Amino acid sequence: MKSLSSLLAGKFTNAVIKEFNLGSGSTWPGHVALKVNPQFLKDFLKNKKLNIVLVVGTNGKTTTSKLLRHILEENGHRVFQNEEGANLVNGITTSIIRNTNKLGRISYDTAIFEVDENNLPHILKQITPTAIVFLNLFRDQLDRYGEVHTIAQKWKKALVTLPKSTTIILNADDPEIRYLEKNIEGKTYYFSIPDTYFSKKEITHDTDSTHCPECGTKLRFSKIAYSHLGKYTCTKCGFTNETIKEKIDTFVPTVLSGTYNIYNLQAAIKTAQEIFDLPIEKIHTSLQTFTPAFGRQELIEYKKRNILMLLSKNPAGFNQSLSVIADKDKKSTVLLALNDRIPDGRDVSWIWDVDTDELITNASRIIITGDRAYDMGLRIKYSFADQSSKFTDAVIIKEKTNDAINELIKNTKDGETVYILPTYSAMLELRKILTGKEIL
Amino acid sequence: MENYTLTIGWLYPDLMSTYGDRGNVITLQKRCEWRGISIKILPITPETTNHELSTINLLFGGGSQDREQEIVMRDLKSKSDSIHKLIEHNIPSLFVCGSPQLMGKFYEPSEGKRIEGLGIFDMETRHPGPTDDRLIGNVVAKVNWENLQLESSQLKVKSSLIVGFENHGGRTTLGLNAKPFATVIVGNGNNGEDKTEGVVYKNAIGCYFHGPLLPKNPHIADFLISKALEVKYEKSIELSPLDDSLEIQAHNSIVKKLGVRI
Repeated sequence: MKSLSSLLAGKFTNAVIKEFNLGSGSTWPGHVALKVNPQFLKDFLKNKKLNIVLVVGTNGKTTTSKLLRHILEENGHRVFQNEEGANLVNGITTSIIRNTNKLGRISYDTAIFEVDENNLPHILKQITPTAIVFLNLFRDQLDRYGEVHTIAQKWKKALVTLPKSTTIILNADDPEIRYLEKNIEGKTYYFSIPDTYFSKKEITHDTDSTHCPECGTKLRFSKIAYSHLGKYTCTKCGFTNETIKEKIDTFVPTVLSGTYNIYNLQAAIKTAQEIFDLPIEKIHTSLQTFTPAFGRQELIEYKKRNILMLLSKNPAGFNQSLSVIADKDKKSTVLLALNDRIPDGRDVSWIWDVDTDELITNASRIIITGDRAYDMGLRIKYSFADQSSKFTDAVIIKEKTNDAINELIKNTKDGETVYILPTYSAMLELRKILTGKEIL
Repeated sequence: MENYTLTIGWLYPDLMSTYGDRGNVITLQKRCEWRGISIKILPITPETTNHELSTINLLFGGGSQDREQEIVMRDLKSKSDSIHKLIEHNIPSLFVCGSPQLMGKFYEPSEGKRIEGLGIFDMETRHPGPTDDRLIGNVVAKVNWENLQLESSQLKVKSSLIVGFENHGGRTTLGLNAKPFATVIVGNGNNGEDKTEGVVYKNAIGCYFHGPLLPKNPHIADFLISKALEVKYEKSIELSPLDDSLEIQAHNSIVKKLGVRI
């Protein structure tokens, strides 16, 4: 009964927010429901027949969730998701309230929730999921999330409390993620990527987990996909992923590129196969109609230019975006947009962990904008071998987004493909101008 | 400046490079190379010998995550004499983020044992406990040039300020023999109370700013390079000028953002 009154309080708040257009609609109803009953989620979800899949990791949550949702919906499941960015307890609660009717019934069979790295332990206190997908753990917003190992520690503690019924899907190639297995009672599956994608020769600079999570010895990598994702062995204690043998699918829909998306794809396929029992042929067929999530390799047509938006919010993600551009275009025009607002992280130091050599060799024009345009300008300037005119010829800095877009148009021709690498808030701002619509 | 060469020693790049720390090394390297000064970067690892350490003309250390810090500290003990020698011989050094704590007298974490430092700087660092807030945010501070044995008029870039980002749990108190590197105008600094930021001993600078201190503070980069040349070649060598307009714009934009008048 208590959970129903909470639900109604949440639904009422939702209605008020909508009616009066108050904003923050993706978190407030949940906030109110939890005020009425702090155990709302736990009580409400008891006896409900709902598959809950949590997707966790630094990069790829949105794309993996969208892939999984698409596969499931194309195969007859009814699925709902939490809204972009509403990945704390309030946001997830709101999502449940919105998708439940006044009688407390949910007409969906599956919920997919993207979960904030720091909040997984809080959410696991309220929700016992059917499955959790762990994608990766990279350095990201140190000012907000803290260190990579600190997060892994929190996850380990939370995972111990889960029952056997929760299935865990782990990225075999991220040492810290693979190591989570130790704390899991339930069934565990691994995903990796086809052999051809392990193309890096050396460990790059944007890595965090290059030492053995068990004994602290430096890991030996025999293959590297990107950052610290690869095939590794600890020469001291024997910790390795080389012995994991799971079948890897080689199908890739044409709208997805970049090694990082192959991981996202494999995560979604593995989940669809193991949790939802879908045959691989049906998964392939459904993926043919997949379209990327906004800002994630999203193609936008603007003033006769094809703009590929590649959200790039941390070193590993940024480096992957640069690889995508290098594969597609050897004379590219690129717009970099760096903001330092709360969703981006206030600290922009991370740009110095990005490897920009490929960018300055391949890009014929680099336009830079955002709150911290000059910081990004310096990052690019200090990539050039000499202080010649090459930098001033190639780079244009415009603090205002509108001015930067005008430069982008001025410097390109009709039908040309151009690339935008924005941080989160910069992506929203750019997208608003390019599509004429707001998202949130 | 083609006839000059410098070796930059970089403390444990694998283990101490938390968040853009390498921006400092890139800045030093480029500002030398753009002037024709040849640069060799010596990554300091557990395998580095004391002889190799003695060839260093400029020393840099960044931050590390807790687990890596333990590995670093174990190895650093065996190199303590060599590092003391470098600093005593006036080798310019920059320690940012977590590394000044390792160079101080000790660091007391919120849980666990006190970690003894190398004792180069007369300072003590204590973590007030897991419930106390970390000191996080943009910072503007005024450089105490008098503590750096350099007239600011010798520098090509004229700014008495430094800008950066701090993110630390530990609170540092300077001892009587330590001089602060700068005085905080906006931000927390060493401990959030006495307005001191960082520490100076001879030509060694410790600074709580983390990540890339030097790109937006080219005058500090040039101070380190000038001193490295002066110590190595035993004469005062004037640095050739560089076009620093973008560096100054980046520096000033943070000063303005934090409401400080230039």
